[in-house]
Amino acid sequence: MTTASVTVRRRLPGTVTQVFLVVLALAFLAPVAWAVLSAFKPAAQIINDPLGFDPSSATLDNFTRMFADVPIVRGFVNTAVVLVLKGSLTLFFAPLAAYGFAKYEFRFKGLLFGTVLITLMLPTIVLIIPLLLEMKELGWVNTYQALVLPGAVDAFAIFWMRQVIAAVPNELLDAARVDGCTEFGIFWRIILPVIRPALAGLAVLTVMNIYNDFVWPVVIASSDRMATLQVVLSSLAQNITGNRIGADYATVTGELLAAASIALVPLLLIFIVLQKHFINGILAGSVKG
Amino acid sequence: MTLAPAPPRAQAPSATSRRRPHRSPSRRKLAPYVFVFPFVALFLAFGVYPMLFTLQLSFTDWHGSGSAHWVGWGNYTYLLTNPAFWSSLGNSAVMWLLIVPVQIVVALLVAVLLDNAKTRMRGFYRVAFLVPFVTPLVAVAQIWVVVFDQQYGAVNSVLNALGLPDVGWLTTSEWAKPTLALLFLWKTTGFIVIILLSGLQSIDPTVYEASSIDGASRFRQLRSMTLPLVRRTLMFAVVLQTLAIFQMFAEPFVVTDGGPYGSTTTAGLYLYNHITRADLGTGAANSFLLVIVVMVLSLGFVRLLRSED
Repeated sequence: MTTASVTVRRRLPGTVTQVFLVVLALAFLAPVAWAVLSAFKPAAQIINDPLGFDPSSATLDNFTRMFADVPIVRGFVNTAVVLVLKGSLTLFFAPLAAYGFAKYEFRFKGLLFGTVLITLMLPTIVLIIPLLLEMKELGWVNTYQALVLPGAVDAFAIFWMRQVIAAVPNELLDAARVDGCTEFGIFWRIILPVIRPALAGLAVLTVMNIYNDFVWPVVIASSDRMATLQVVLSSLAQNITGNRIGADYATVTGELLAAASIALVPLLLIFIVLQKHFINGILAGSVKG
Repeated sequence: MTLAPAPPRAQAPSATSRRRPHRSPSRRKLAPYVFVFPFVALFLAFGVYPMLFTLQLSFTDWHGSGSAHWVGWGNYTYLLTNPAFWSSLGNSAVMWLLIVPVQIVVALLVAVLLDNAKTRMRGFYRVAFLVPFVTPLVAVAQIWVVVFDQQYGAVNSVLNALGLPDVGWLTTSEWAKPTLALLFLWKTTGFIVIILLSGLQSIDPTVYEASSIDGASRFRQLRSMTLPLVRRTLMFAVVLQTLAIFQMFAEPFVVTDGGPYGSTTTAGLYLYNHITRADLGTGAANSFLLVIVVMVLSLGFVRLLRSED
């Protein structure tokens, strides 16, 4: 075999790979790019010429109409409140409980952690009916506490953090004890800084889950005053699938794309800024082959 | 999946560290209870209690108000003899078949390529593939409604431009499932890529070097070395997706509302429909049947993994 044919054999798969990856990446980005660009087109053009884009006719009409039609600002505020409250609960109490599970012996530990593992397998919707009734009983329907408390410290976060904390060497903790550190001090000054990469991963995942959460809010926070961003979005979408009488298809489509664009931008920005932490967090803290 | 390796036990205490810490040992005994308490309190109130309540509810005919009547196994037999219940499970099973094999093959291929140091622009691809994953589901679902619209959608305009006829992506029962499956694939494949990548990166690179010297081709290496080594990660991904697919609710709820002709009424959406009809007893029974299905499937996959070990 000549050297030339060896180089061809080496290069060709490289080119095929590159083309495959580029095409796939474009397919993954295209729908988002299309939606955001189309949101700036006149509503009629979105449906008459879905593929064309004429920058000179770009407009904010879809956005202004959408802001007037649905309580999206209110949705943003509600989502932000839930995000801050629920997010801090998860990011503090999940690693704390995981620390207890990973580094201490106590009664019922096996039973408790076993229950956590079983909860991992339960579909979220299973709890919807009884939780809804519980909230009615407590008078919490359409309140922030109903959006925040259930699921605030979830099984997956505990399971993940326990795995990460178990890998922190015990010598480190013992050394701190010798230096007079309290048990909570060990968690705060040693554990949290050491597991920071995985914690960053958990933070991004938690923010995403809360921001995107839909099933529970649509059941518990359906009033205009309490609707989260996703609930507001879904009510718009149902105008199309439910053929709202009198709604002009083009107008609703334009509003829909405007709302979708506005909803995805904040998360996309957070992700792009923090993507290193997120990816490394998952890579560092997830399962081993 | 395996837990992270247990850290080495602390060394025998040296002369200096044998000096007792001045804090009483009882505080150390008490600490874990304090640490897990907030979690346990929330877990009992919003996890265990509603779960037991559902169990009780599943044996009654309660409709959300008035008094509940004990109906024994009535709700369960009603569901188990109801074709609609079985077709909701069937729809989810078809979705599983449409999604999981494709997703595992594509994600594994991408992960192997991204794991290869010779591939250029790896950082860009990792971000690009994760963009759908971070995009809000409801927004994505809305984009699907618009893009796959039969009359005005972008996909059909592309088909028309190529001289092909319109396809009723969301309006015909044969296309609605694949279109929703595509949505799910597009949304979650990036995350599966990252999970598989984490499995690949835990493989010792010297394994590859040894086999390259022995003259094994890339494909042989992938089949006989990479696959067995990441099998646990693959199974983890399969279990994760099985759970997600059988719980799938928001996608059909927003995009098709379960139609056309119930072809996209997944197990999750069917369960939700009991709630909207205030048929709470049946819904509770349906919840437990779905839990059993999901658990049997998950344990089956875990078993499959074990038996090949």
